[in-house]
Parts: sequence; structure tokens; C-alpha cells
Amino acid sequence: MSLFDATAHAFALLFSGDAALWRIIWVSVKTSVIGLLLATPPAVLLGYAIAMHRFPGRRIAVWLAQCALSLPTVLIGLLLYLLLSRRGPLGPLEWLFSQSGIIAGQFVVGLPVLLAFTLAAVQALDARYAETARALGASRWRVMTTVLHEARYGVMAAVISGFGRVISEVGCALMVGGNIEGETRTITTAIALETSKGEFAQGIALGIVLVALALLMNGALMLLQGEAHTAGGRA
Amino acid sequence: MNKLSSALLTVQGLRKRHGERLLFDIDTLTLEAASAYVLTGANGVGKSTLLRILAGLDTAEIGQAVFDDKPVALHPYPSLLRRAIVYVHQHPVMFSTSVAQNIGYGLAARGEPKARMAALVAEAMDWAGVGYLRETDPARLSGGEKQRVALARARVLQPRLLLLDEPTANLDGVAREQVIALIPTLVQEGSTVVMACHDRDLIGLPGVRRLKLRDGRLEYRPHKDEAGDKP
Repeated sequence: MSLFDATAHAFALLFSGDAALWRIIWVSVKTSVIGLLLATPPAVLLGYAIAMHRFPGRRIAVWLAQCALSLPTVLIGLLLYLLLSRRGPLGPLEWLFSQSGIIAGQFVVGLPVLLAFTLAAVQALDARYAETARALGASRWRVMTTVLHEARYGVMAAVISGFGRVISEVGCALMVGGNIEGETRTITTAIALETSKGEFAQGIALGIVLVALALLMNGALMLLQGEAHTAGGRA
Repeated sequence: MNKLSSALLTVQGLRKRHGERLLFDIDTLTLEAASAYVLTGANGVGKSTLLRILAGLDTAEIGQAVFDDKPVALHPYPSLLRRAIVYVHQHPVMFSTSVAQNIGYGLAARGEPKARMAALVAEAMDWAGVGYLRETDPARLSGGEKQRVALARARVLQPRLLLLDEPTANLDGVAREQVIALIPTLVQEGSTVVMACHDRDLIGLPGVRRLKLRDGRLEYRPHKDEAGDKP
């Protein structure tokens, strides 16, 4: 099958409502969104705390947060596999080869991205915002919500980048999820499997979905950032 | 010690170092209630730093401090001072909400009821002459408008002590005059105002006392009308 034929077949699969294909997409989006929703609050709070406070070991914390960005997802998958396997400390949860296991993986994969980007966004924000809030009598909580509101475009970029990272990773989902059809098969694990079988159409179809999602998310981010620049440029 | 009894704030043994360098060493800083002060001195002498220390935004070695006859610490900054002292930056930033919400920010932080907050914000906007900006995007404000909104945002909290860092810096013409015109009314309303500045018109305002930071020491100077002293 030529690349052209495979691509044409891929579009046909997508628009025919192929149940197996859309099930894979659903599992991917669902586990990614849940993993990200769980990772966002602790990552944003931690990123804010590291950015705003001076404490012993802060530079090490920043260094570790940035290093965690480059952790191979397959290594995260291996560690989670060992934790979740029957003999592992989290074995009783029975999350291995389940969607819960993939969600745990997406949580661990997404957290460093969210944390590092939030940290960068808060650090880049003019310190006068937090000082003004404090000088006007805001509580610590209100200072934090004010600062995060002012840094919201950076935090949104963190969430979108985190989503891009979790939905496109393959190593962790494959090791922890097991690529079980209809259960834990995600877009990326399905692409790997179908390609290894020489079934390019489904792989291309899923690839198109991934690209479409990336375009959609980054388009939204660009729109938001454009809005921010417009607002900032009016001063 | 007569001065101490009528003082709003007295800080003794105030030392600030930048690394090994001693920025200033002030034996006693005394600010009287409902008075206006200008804090002058060469660039880099520590005027802004001194205001920031009093506002709890910077730290220093403090011997002892008394606010309103109560001993206080400046670090950690007590809620008593946080409610009583407001600091305004040289170039104030506006939160990306509305002008009205900016002015009401401190009131919301204090949990003021919405109806009272709306009335106080409206009154503060009238005072600062920024009523026409109520729903304006703060990013659209000019430098002078930002300064007046920042003054309204501070004044609405009825601070006992208002610390203004170069309130007229980079303003000219009408914008500068509008800001200068607001300062005496703050004192008339009972606030003590300390302005770090070089602006001769601010220094020359009636009743304004002069503090000068020089060679790491704080000098008290009478108002030029009292001593015939030239700024």
C-alpha cells in the first residue's frame, strides 16, 4: 500500500466512525485529561511556591524540576511498573494494565512539565504584582491567586504543554497500560502496534488525530497569547 | 522623648546592609501622626529601600519599633502594620481586572461587604478624579492615571501611614500637578505620608517636613518655611 493509499484509507476510517478507532481516541483523551486534571493543582501550587519563596535548597529544587522535564517516559513507565506490579508496594491497587495505571503514568509524566512551566511563568512575572497585593493587605492565599491570575497565560501554556506531553508519550502508556485492545490501547501505543504489523492506515489515522489535537491546543494558546499581547500593548 | 509620645511610628537602631556594605544606619526614625514628610537623598542612598522596610517588603536589622504606642516587629510583618501601612511603587502596577476592581482590591482583601466597598470605591474614584475610568482596562491607562488610581487604591484603605516612592517621577505637566494636588488632602484626612522624592514642588508643599538620607544617616530638617532652608 502506497503512502497515498494508506492516507486515503486513514481518512476513510476516521470518517466512517470506526468504533475501535474512536475507542482508542477516547481512551487516550480520557486518560490524558484526567491525569492532567490531577497533576495541575499540585504542580501549579509547587511551581508557585518554588518561584515565590527563598529557602535553602531552592536552586536544587529548580534544577530538579527542570531535569524532570527530560526524564524519558519509558523510565517513568519502568518505575511505575515496578511500583504497580503484583510484588510492588502499590500492587494491591491492581492498577497495572488498567486505565488507572495509565492515568497514574500521565500524572507523573505531566507533573514536571506543568511545574517547570508554572515556575517559569511566575518567576517571569513582575515582582510588583505580589508586592502590591501584599502592601494592600492581601492574605497569602489571595496573593497567590492574584499572582497566578496575572501569570495566567503562562500557566495556560503550562497546561497545554502538559497535555501535549501526556497525550503524545508512548513509553509509559505501553509499559503500564499494556496496550490491551478496547481497554488500555491509546493513540500512541496503537500507532506503534499497527506500524509494527504493517497496518499503516490506522496508524496514519491516529497520527492525524494527534496532529489535529496539537494544532487545536496550540492554536488556542496562540489566540490567548495574542490577546495578552494586545492587552499589554495598549498601556 | 516628648516626640515619642505623639509619634505614629518610631524605629530605633535601623540598619540595612547590602552584602558587606552598610547602606544605612539610622539611630531613630520618628514619624508623627497626620504629617507629611519628604525623604530626600542622592540616588542609591537607600530611600526606596527604607520605605520598603517600613512596608514589610524588605528586611533590615531593627533595634526596636513602636507603632501607635505598641511595640511591634517589622519582620515578620505584623497584621497591625499590614492594615495600617500602605506602600505605593514608583511605577505602580495595575491588576488586569478593571480600574474599579483595582481600587477595591484591598477592601476585598479585608472582606468589606460589597455595598460598602462599592460606595468607598466610588468615593475614592471621585477623590482621585478617575471616575471616568471606572470600567477602563487598566492596561490602557497613562502614567499619571495609573499613579492616581494607585493613590486611590491606597487611600481607600484609610492608611495611618502611606509610603509613596517617587510619586511624581516621570510625570510632567497636568499629570504631575494632579498627583501633587492629592497629597495634602491625604494628610488632612489623618494619614501620615512619607514620599521618597526629588520633586521640588512636593518638597515645597506647606507643612511638609524633610528627612534626608546622607552617608548612611538620617537627618531631620525643618520645613523650608520654618528654617529658611532651601531644598
